[in-house]
Amino acid sequence: MRQGRLIATGAMLAFCLFALWQSLLLSLTDRLGPGPGFFPFWLALVGIVLAIALLIETAREPRDPPSSESSESSDTRILPHGAGGLRWLAIVVLLAAATAAMSMVGFRIAMLIFNAGLLVALGERRWWAIALFAVLGSFGVYYVFTTWLDVLLPTGWLGI
Amino acid sequence: MEALTHLLQGFAAALSLNYLLFALAGCLLGTLIGVLPGLGPAAGTAILIPLTFNLDATGAIIMLCAIYYGAMYGGTITSVLINVPGEAASVVTCIDGHQMARQGRAGSALGIAAIGSFVGGTLATVALVAVAMPLASLALKFGPAEFFALMVAGLCLVVGLAGSNMLAALLMTAIGLLLAMIGVDPVRGAPRFTFGFEELFDGIGFVPVVMGLFGVAELLLAAEKRQTHMVSAELKSWMPTRQECRQSAGAIGRGTVVGFVLGLIPGVGAIVPTFMAYVLEKRVSKTPERFGKGAIEGVASAETANNAYANASMVPLLALGIPSSPTIAVLMGAFIVNGITPGPFLFKEQPALVWTVIASFFVGNALLLILNLPLVGLWAKLLKVPFSYMCTGILIFCVIGAYSLKQNLFDVWVMLGFGILGYLLRKLDFPLAPAILALILGPMMERSLRTTLEISGGSFAIFLDRPLALALLAVPVIVGGFLLFKPRSLSPLRTSDAE
Repeated sequence: MRQGRLIATGAMLAFCLFALWQSLLLSLTDRLGPGPGFFPFWLALVGIVLAIALLIETAREPRDPPSSESSESSDTRILPHGAGGLRWLAIVVLLAAATAAMSMVGFRIAMLIFNAGLLVALGERRWWAIALFAVLGSFGVYYVFTTWLDVLLPTGWLGI
Repeated sequence: MEALTHLLQGFAAALSLNYLLFALAGCLLGTLIGVLPGLGPAAGTAILIPLTFNLDATGAIIMLCAIYYGAMYGGTITSVLINVPGEAASVVTCIDGHQMARQGRAGSALGIAAIGSFVGGTLATVALVAVAMPLASLALKFGPAEFFALMVAGLCLVVGLAGSNMLAALLMTAIGLLLAMIGVDPVRGAPRFTFGFEELFDGIGFVPVVMGLFGVAELLLAAEKRQTHMVSAELKSWMPTRQECRQSAGAIGRGTVVGFVLGLIPGVGAIVPTFMAYVLEKRVSKTPERFGKGAIEGVASAETANNAYANASMVPLLALGIPSSPTIAVLMGAFIVNGITPGPFLFKEQPALVWTVIASFFVGNALLLILNLPLVGLWAKLLKVPFSYMCTGILIFCVIGAYSLKQNLFDVWVMLGFGILGYLLRKLDFPLAPAILALILGPMMERSLRTTLEISGGSFAIFLDRPLALALLAVPVIVGGFLLFKPRSLSPLRTSDAE
């Protein structure tokens, strides 16, 4: 946990330093008053001070006690692992793949594959239930939202 | 007295069968839209405007207002049952509402939310009728200095809410404010931190960020823990117990006042009164350690303030023609589409319409209570759905919600990115609430501060000349002092609870 917090705070410090550099490329003041860089500059500066203070505070905390693989609960580990990690990965990868594919194959096809794939990855094995949910959650949802609610959803190269 | 006469005439019209049906349909559709993550009141109201094209102006406005209130309550349902806020104002409800659901008290949480919403909404409408004009004039006296001070005070209270690690909360606030700086500069119109991406010109969308940090992150956490259901609790009753009602009475009263007063101030947004009411309730509670662990007062205060705010925010719209939130701006657009210009002249030129609409607020609130208390059981049945279906279903609506606001797949990527970020930050005990509020308030804070400094020629001494702004700026000092020297009995809220 301590190590994870140090890395996360370090990343936030880097973000604030980057924001400070970017804000300096904008004008801090102009003839009318504060410029576009004024507010982000001061925010980034405050963020840097806070991040450094938090880094020092976290570094002073006692180190995490070493624990065996078996006794370590999932809550104390930062990154996903084991079977839960695979489910985690399935959600992220399938969602990313569906988003990437949506502009090419459209909402219906992308979500049809996403729904079926995710249900299988999360443990569903009844093929008829998977097929029914996948179709309703893609073609059915598309119909309801575009026809009844006038929400525009992506269509692909084939017009589907 | 004149207002009362007009109101009675308004009731006579609002209780006619046609208008009752419009209000009923609006409440049902609004609740349905509100239940869908990401499709909050603003998007829901905008999506459903075409449904009212064939109605007369009064009927159209009644239905859209009912959709607005229904969507506000719909957001509560998802906040309590699956920890996914349907809209920004329901973020606070997640804190205790979802904990209650995990303890098998989802029915009580939804029941008290419906009762609190009804009481808050009704009392706020009574206050609207009685003091609309004088209070609106007072809110008008707020200058940019007061707005800036108010937002600083609001942010400070949120940092106090995540009090286990002040430094982490303050850092998250700074990060949230920096993220809010992405997009076109609100004063000069210059693009900032956009790196040539057109998608970033409007800034990072609040909806994809919230859906990522709360919705996707929650699903990732649940998937890792091998949960078979989002919550394992059973719904034992859809009515809060007598003791729970007693516990919530004070919270409902205070939430009404906070929601109504802040609803009068344009630009505050629905999230500030809910946060403020929650923090106030925690501060006055004799057992603040229960907050974040399923305290019913937490749900009652936030939901009451939310609905009181929703009704009070009609005051600037109807009396002054100023929309005080994105949803009210959508409603204002609907007024204009129907040939009505909201503002001071509305009361003189179309008293029948305006008083019928105000009377319909009472009717809409009553309909929501009548509908939602018995339907609590139906909504709570969502708990029985297996996780694989719930997770897939929520992600479908998250994708639609993130995409539909701007018809942009970039926002779906933003949602996914913030989902992973939210997962990591929650595991590392970084509070998310300050970053969320900072992201909403950032552009308004910047605009207010820069306008103030332009007026004063760059001098911060202007805040010393504005007593109200000075008093509001004293809040951070008081909160900071309280957190530093608080009695030991008031143990700080755990960071995870603040989420």
